[in-house]
Amino acid sequence: MSLTFESIRFGTVEIEPEDVIEFPLGLIGLAGSRYVLIDRNPGTGFLWLHAVEHPALALPVVCPQDFFSDFSLEIAAEDRERTGIEDTAGAQLYVTVRATPNPHDITANLRAPLVIRDGRGYQVINTNEDAPLQAPLFAVPTQHQIAS
Amino acid sequence: MLILTRRPGERVVIGDEIIVTVMGVSGHTVRLGIAAPQGVQIYREEIWLAVKEENRAAASAAADALPATPPAPPAEKDDEGS
Repeated sequence: MSLTFESIRFGTVEIEPEDVIEFPLGLIGLAGSRYVLIDRNPGTGFLWLHAVEHPALALPVVCPQDFFSDFSLEIAAEDRERTGIEDTAGAQLYVTVRATPNPHDITANLRAPLVIRDGRGYQVINTNEDAPLQAPLFAVPTQHQIAS
Repeated sequence: MLILTRRPGERVVIGDEIIVTVMGVSGHTVRLGIAAPQGVQIYREEIWLAVKEENRAAASAAADALPATPPAPPAEKDDEGS
């Protein structure tokens, strides 16, 4: 039987109970521990991670591998201990997206990916030092890169 | 704020379940060991602040804030760049 929840962005949203993802530790700095992924931008790669119990709380996310071919995740030791997730085998990975009026300025946070497995999700710290907090999603060569 | 002086190997107990151990001191660097229950989240402050800021910025996006198609590269794109 379907569930519905209210969203200030999308109105009444219908989901299946098994689509609910529990984030036992939440997302850093945000309320909400039960989320769903909803596809309101088909074909774009963007999904919304929407809190089921907070109509205003939703974050755009993408699969990092779709936009960053060299993405890699090394989970911090303390996160491995806390989440019980030793590696990302069988897990879905997402990264949060910071939307901006100019699409060229949209960035994704590769430093703190979301790891979802078996209906549970955790935001973990990526200890890969090449993982920036704000990675441009639509990479264009900068003047600096052209010059070098 | 409670301020305590501890030596390497000494501990601070917070509540019944959190123990902070001074593992070592070297110059201006202190190594801490923290034992806490699974549900307690522990971060370096600068990481915690930065990720919180990114999460909140992401959560402020309007429903129509995302592009339907990837933006075209700038017209003056220099193919010799790479």
